[in-house]
Amino acid sequence: MPFDSLRRMSSGSPIGHGIVPGAVAMVGAGLGAGLLGWWLTSQRPRARREAHTHRAARRLNHAASLLGAAVMADSGLEHFRGDYHNRAMFAAPSVAALQVTSSMLGAVRTPSRWSTARHAAQVSAGLTGIVGLGFHTYNVAKRPGGFSWQNLFYGAPVGAPFALALAGAVGAAAEHLRAADPGRAEILGQPAGPALALGTAVGLAGTVAEAGLMHFRGAFHNPLMWLPVSVPPIAAGLLTRAAFVGRGAIPATRVWLAATAALGFAGTAFHAFGVARNMGGWRNWSQTLQSGPPLPAPPSFTGMALAGLAALDLMEAQPGETDHVGR
Amino acid sequence: MSDAESRTERYPGYDVLSKRDTPSWNAKTRAVVDERLAVGEEDHRFFSDTEWQILSALCDRLVPQPPGRSARVPLAALVDAKLQSGKGDGYRHDNMPPMAEAWQRGLSALDAEAQLRYGQRFHDLGPRDQDALIAAMQDGALDCAAWGGMPPDLFFHHRIVPDAIKSYYTHPTAWSEIGFGGPASPRGYVRLDLDRRDPWEARERRDGDDADAVRRTNERIGR
Amino acid sequence: MSLLFGQGPADVTPPSDDPEREPRARDGRAPDVMRVGGWTPMREYNEDEEVDFVIVGTGAGGGTLAAKLSEYGFSVVAMDAGPYWRPLEDFASDEAHQSKLYWTDPRIVDGDNPLQLGANNCGKSVGGSTVHFAMVSLRFRPEWFRARTLLGYGADWPIDWREMWTYYGEVEQTLAISGPISYPWGPKRPRYPYRAHELNAAAKVLARGAEALGIAWTETPIATLSAPRGLAPPCVYRGFCTSGCSTNAKQSVLNTWLVRALAAGAEIRDLAMVGQVETGPDGRATGVRYHREGRWRFQRAKNVVVAGYAIETPRLLLNSASARHPDGLANSSGLVGRYLTVQGNQAVWGTSEEEIRAYKAPPSLALTEHWNYDDDKDFHGGYCYMAQGPLPTLWSSTLASGRGLWGDALVSEMGNYNHVVGLKNVGEYMAQERNRVTLADETDQYGLRVARVTYSWCENDRAQNAHALRFMGQALEAAGGVHDIWEQTDDTCHLNGSCRMGSDPRTSVVDADCRSWDVDNLWICDGSVFPTVGGVNPSLTIQAIACRTADRIRTMATRGEMRRKVSTR
Repeated sequence: MPFDSLRRMSSGSPIGHGIVPGAVAMVGAGLGAGLLGWWLTSQRPRARREAHTHRAARRLNHAASLLGAAVMADSGLEHFRGDYHNRAMFAAPSVAALQVTSSMLGAVRTPSRWSTARHAAQVSAGLTGIVGLGFHTYNVAKRPGGFSWQNLFYGAPVGAPFALALAGAVGAAAEHLRAADPGRAEILGQPAGPALALGTAVGLAGTVAEAGLMHFRGAFHNPLMWLPVSVPPIAAGLLTRAAFVGRGAIPATRVWLAATAALGFAGTAFHAFGVARNMGGWRNWSQTLQSGPPLPAPPSFTGMALAGLAALDLMEAQPGETDHVGR
Repeated sequence: MSDAESRTERYPGYDVLSKRDTPSWNAKTRAVVDERLAVGEEDHRFFSDTEWQILSALCDRLVPQPPGRSARVPLAALVDAKLQSGKGDGYRHDNMPPMAEAWQRGLSALDAEAQLRYGQRFHDLGPRDQDALIAAMQDGALDCAAWGGMPPDLFFHHRIVPDAIKSYYTHPTAWSEIGFGGPASPRGYVRLDLDRRDPWEARERRDGDDADAVRRTNERIGR
Repeated sequence: MSLLFGQGPADVTPPSDDPEREPRARDGRAPDVMRVGGWTPMREYNEDEEVDFVIVGTGAGGGTLAAKLSEYGFSVVAMDAGPYWRPLEDFASDEAHQSKLYWTDPRIVDGDNPLQLGANNCGKSVGGSTVHFAMVSLRFRPEWFRARTLLGYGADWPIDWREMWTYYGEVEQTLAISGPISYPWGPKRPRYPYRAHELNAAAKVLARGAEALGIAWTETPIATLSAPRGLAPPCVYRGFCTSGCSTNAKQSVLNTWLVRALAAGAEIRDLAMVGQVETGPDGRATGVRYHREGRWRFQRAKNVVVAGYAIETPRLLLNSASARHPDGLANSSGLVGRYLTVQGNQAVWGTSEEEIRAYKAPPSLALTEHWNYDDDKDFHGGYCYMAQGPLPTLWSSTLASGRGLWGDALVSEMGNYNHVVGLKNVGEYMAQERNRVTLADETDQYGLRVARVTYSWCENDRAQNAHALRFMGQALEAAGGVHDIWEQTDDTCHLNGSCRMGSDPRTSVVDADCRSWDVDNLWICDGSVFPTVGGVNPSLTIQAIACRTADRIRTMATRGEMRRKVSTR
């Protein structure tokens, strides 16, 4: 099936080829999956020697760094495309950079007295995301046509700042967990595991919506463009179910989250191929990096999936508490 | 500010040729424009020397160029080159002769009108008198026998405009002058909105802009 | 390696052959238009072989028909007087050089409002004018197919709009039209295959004006890609669309239908100028006499399709006069060459405070068909208007011709180039019998008599021009921030109607199937069959008619009806 779809994506017109770029994309996907596997297994030995909340916090830090890095690169590129016309446009990449730094420091167990600063960085990222949402919505609204498809496609992407808000939220959750009593970790008054699972599911849904909108703009011209609107929604659905059902749902959810995480990296490889398919390809990078599919966008899926995996870890370590959710 | 300065200063420092070796120009474009740039200011094979003098004078008035300009558009020579190629526009009014004949007749008629009105050759007239003749031609208000029945206004609209005026704007010097992005393939453009330009487009000097800052921006294009 | 780095390498050497002098499609191969220096196998037919169809012209009508008929299993030879380009290597980003795409052979124009031909409306390339068209791909308003009955002017078409709706859909899929999600006017249509492009500044000004006046506007459905398709990359917004697309993002007949035609076994002969359709003793067509590689030749055929567009088609039929057909071929009605109908192309221009830089992106990314669908007006027919993107030489001649500027005044106004913004209409002129194509005494480089094109506006045309200019002026004013608005009134566009179709042999040249009433194995398939022209660009309709004709031919061939039964009426 993959080869079939790869062939089809290159032969929409009567003349086609596709094996080489297809292979490049598949190698990229494999690399992504490999990296992820390496990361997952490398966590195990150390994990047994520390509190499960700390382990989850570190995973969330990783997730938040990835999300933040994606936002930093994506907003940096997209706002360059917008010529940084408004000085506020510098805020997104700058705050994201701060957020990434904070998340990475969190992951390497810096002194706990830095916690407040890290926490503040995460919260400010979250707030910047929300303010950005407002800016982007205003940008769309003021264009001729208002909330039309044209402006949703080509105006400031309404969903993009949402990713920064998510990065901040995940990062803040990490700080929160690290400070929490391992026996009774809660988020917003709910047991941490299920609450985080639900939050992640919502975040995934938003990310799917953004990818769906952009891939619709690209007319799903390549069948592989359906992947980010089919795999992550399943993961999000399972995650939601796991939040309510508990341990039994965890193994299947883990598989789909891992697939989503791998997809995020593979997406960047696909997008690199997409850039090459624009006129002039990589040689014309000064245009095609801007007008081709955004390289930094897909790893947001990986970030969200990692947060989901962390939620599952928490739930495994705190069995039974899922019953509290929603009551 | 002199006229010459105001013409170059709207996009100070911008030279569209600085993009020649960037992805904005493909090989075919470079070949085509190189050929045009190789046309020398005095090159003419189609027109006789007499016609050439009239044509040169006419072109200087049709699109006046700043004195001392380093990269002058060899306008009369471009007209000559077009006539050498023999390539027409694909239509002709039934009371217009074919392209070559129209030009030969039109130039000699303009000269005849000059001698009739001012007792001087067209190219010896001052700019003001030359302009008056051109304006009269444009309005169809010339009628000496040398026109041979060719309506002067049609000569202006259907020969002078496509062969001379348009030719000026085929030249990179003219593109730089008006801030045109120039050739664009394989690299086109990204920023399409109002008041937006890509880094490889000319920056216009707007009210309040520092000319040197604009110049520096434009001189970076293509580097 | 090039696959990794993408297509259209910037540094290919220009081709060593000259496609304007030496045919490329021969020796069993034709140019692969998607690859630099590429070739694709091509089936060839012997000149003595009586092919099922010889098609004269490979543009929107002929090229489409060549693909469809060869896919249906007919043997097809399609000829074009123009060269067979490979856009990636042959096309420069240069207005003057790219005039090589236009039909610039001599023609004479006269009448009260002589037409401007060439760049504006005539192509001489394999792929025809679609190689340099502005890609605007609009459907007719359904009522136009019954203009006489429903709207009270012009003539009814012998084709039902619902049938056309299906064929429009087929063409839109073939060209992967990028269009809006929902189209504001007319009956529901299927979703366009690709999404609309981002609006450029010029299109946004149109949108602003329309919103200020409270009328609908939309993104123009356009035949250039907004996402990759096969080997074709998405549009890079280089803006040289009407000078030929050097990236293949434009979906022209050259890189869509003709690729299919070759794959299905059609032969395409470039640099092949057809001078005469020959007929046999029974009056039926026997093939075409054509000039290629320095001499006249003859190709036998069971059927001849003339698809040279609304000037060359009647010219060829008139030049094919013989003892049996003294007034020209297919001309018993006397209407070959008559009812030539162009469209209004009036414009308003202004200078914007903001930079527009209309040279970026396809010129007409937004439009309004408001006045095609609103019948509360003081003239027959309708018009749409679109955003514009003139490149420098075109703009200089617009200022010089349309506004009379030269000298310092021209230079100064050209200085505002990056602030120029305009609206231009495509307006439905009335079909008039007196507007026509005849033969002049003068001959061209092949020794063939050239076309004389006579055109005069009627009162209705003038009323429509006035309405369009007034309304577009208001719209540009209402957009805000635009000054020095002026009107350009000397332009027209598109050529249609010189061999109209109909349901009566006395008042039309061909029937609904584009078959000549007089010669049953002679077909005409291009814009010249339009009885009325509507207020939209014609290319989509020409292709849709070609698709329909191909289907009808297949049906008739299956039923053994390729020889028309003698009418008993």
